[in-house]
Amino acid sequence: MSRLLPFAAFVLALGLAGAAAAAEDGAKLFADNCSACHQPAGQGIPGAFPALAGNAFVQGPPSDPAAVVLNGRGGMPSFRNDLDDDRIAAILSYVRSSWGNRAGPIAPSDVASARTSARSEDAAAALQAH
Amino acid sequence: MITDVTAAAAPLSRRLFLEKLASVGGSALLMAGMSALGFGIESAMAAPPNLSGGRGKKIVILGGGMAGLTAAYEMSNAGYDVTLLEARSFAGGRSQTARKGFTLTELGGEKQTCTFDDVLYINHGPWRIPYHHQSLLHYTRKFGVPLEIFVNDNDHSYIYFERGSGPLAGKAIRKQEVAADLRGKAAEMLAKCVQQGALDQQLTGGDKEMFLSYLRREGYLTAKDFQYVGTDGRGFEVNPGAGLNPGKEAAPYGMLDVLHSGAWRTLGSVAGFEQQRTMFQPVGGMDRIPAALARNIKPGIIRYSCKVEKVAQDADKVEVFYVDGQGQRRSVTADYCLAAIPLSVLRNIDLACSDKFKQAITGVSYALVGKIGLQMKRRFWEENHHIYGGHIYTDNPEIGSITLPSTGYQSQKGVLLGYYQFGANAAKVSAMTPAQRQAFAAAAGQKIMPEYADSVESSFSVAWHRVEHNLGGWAQWSDEGRKTAYPTLLEPDGRIYLAGEHLSYLTGWQAGAVESAWQQIAKIHQRAQAA
Repeated sequence: MSRLLPFAAFVLALGLAGAAAAAEDGAKLFADNCSACHQPAGQGIPGAFPALAGNAFVQGPPSDPAAVVLNGRGGMPSFRNDLDDDRIAAILSYVRSSWGNRAGPIAPSDVASARTSARSEDAAAALQAH
Repeated sequence: MITDVTAAAAPLSRRLFLEKLASVGGSALLMAGMSALGFGIESAMAAPPNLSGGRGKKIVILGGGMAGLTAAYEMSNAGYDVTLLEARSFAGGRSQTARKGFTLTELGGEKQTCTFDDVLYINHGPWRIPYHHQSLLHYTRKFGVPLEIFVNDNDHSYIYFERGSGPLAGKAIRKQEVAADLRGKAAEMLAKCVQQGALDQQLTGGDKEMFLSYLRREGYLTAKDFQYVGTDGRGFEVNPGAGLNPGKEAAPYGMLDVLHSGAWRTLGSVAGFEQQRTMFQPVGGMDRIPAALARNIKPGIIRYSCKVEKVAQDADKVEVFYVDGQGQRRSVTADYCLAAIPLSVLRNIDLACSDKFKQAITGVSYALVGKIGLQMKRRFWEENHHIYGGHIYTDNPEIGSITLPSTGYQSQKGVLLGYYQFGANAAKVSAMTPAQRQAFAAAAGQKIMPEYADSVESSFSVAWHRVEHNLGGWAQWSDEGRKTAYPTLLEPDGRIYLAGEHLSYLTGWQAGAVESAWQQIAKIHQRAQAA
């Protein structure tokens, strides 16, 4: 037992550091990948890009927003091949807890299960189009 | 590869044999091309429908892009009373050209004003016209829009793949070198298999010799022992010249080095149907085509700066409500309406139609697309690298390809395309400011040519998903959408018809817009004649 305790503390510390890093990454990852359309404060642009602030869908069951990020919808691209489960979870957790949103975080495992259950998108990596 | 082919030595159909060859020579691509070819022949229209006797029936067209302009031109000539409402102050829709003074403010972005030197421009929307787009070429011929060759393939251009491994990863290598060395070595290995009898079941007697002759020709193999030892087409260390200079051939790259670099991904036995040469561009910019159409449409038909808010209809007529350039709310009544605007935009307009039609309009996604034109103070790609037009391919999806101008050769300056990216990558790059995009593109090009970053003078960039009145580069139908929503939208809802590239199998191409317009105005005409 005495040998295990410090190890457990170490794991716990790592976990906390990891969570902090994820929160920070969430903001940065959102700015990089999402803000061009949904806008830096998640307010969207009426008639073009939906607002994420106050959006019930993104604050709903984790599998719903995770599936949209993975598969795309309407004018939104699929991020399936561009962002891994950790990053998508970090982004969604950030979105669900920012700008007045109050939903709980999404775990990478939530994204992973949405990834396997959802239809897989054809990722035609064309060198060029049109 | 050898293993693959040898394993296939069991009984094998000719077709399967060709497909196996795909891993060496890319014949699967050839087949895809052939099937696309067959489809294209079925669907392509080369001339507008013959309409006459419009008898003053009223048509209101929404959108002055290629589809709307085509419809307005043909229907007004046929005697219809046409009104076209265009949201912008100019015609063309996505068929735009940015030159000095052109402005663009993306949604959520800052205003950009193009500051390129006179005569320089970038086609930031459609930029090339394949030889088989006879519908679009019908109008360039009819209106005398001069064309020039768009260089869509350049043997001497660079491939810069940095995500592979080995000595060629992260190195700018010439396309001719990659093609020669990989295909040469592949032909050599296949020749070995044939000579060892591995394909005796597929090739007998004279066929075997004929096939070996083909491999020798295809891979530039030595006459006697079918070895690939390089070929002049891959380029020289010292080019041949006058007097005592026969030139010095460069040694081939190792086949595994080319494989590991990933550069082979740019190769295919034949260009895809949509990318084949001959490829054209209008002299002076793509907007020459919509400008020619608009010029040939009778004055007064096109009303610019008119933004449509609502389309109402009843059994007898359709009424379109819009805000004009002075901010006045107006409406126009007509017998029929042709909505030739992107579905991404149409879905935000109050449209009187069935729920099924409305649902179908939302059943398609639109491509996120980014492009940037970089004005370079010197044409170093020509002067130092001897590349005249064509594409430099990268495996950085945030850059895609860098394309050198197919015009203005040997002049002082030029505008090249600094990136062309899609989807999630386009979302990412579009989050940058115009200045950040320029710096990003300059840094990427700098890895390939040392003169790049220092030569950039100015830029003009677009993220089509953030452009008002377009909201995306082009329609992207899923197989499911093609089966469900697409057929619904091809038919009118009451007196409302739709047209555009999105209602064709040529999505993203101007020819798709033209042919969709031709198809829909023929339907309107048929109905108007019967009424």
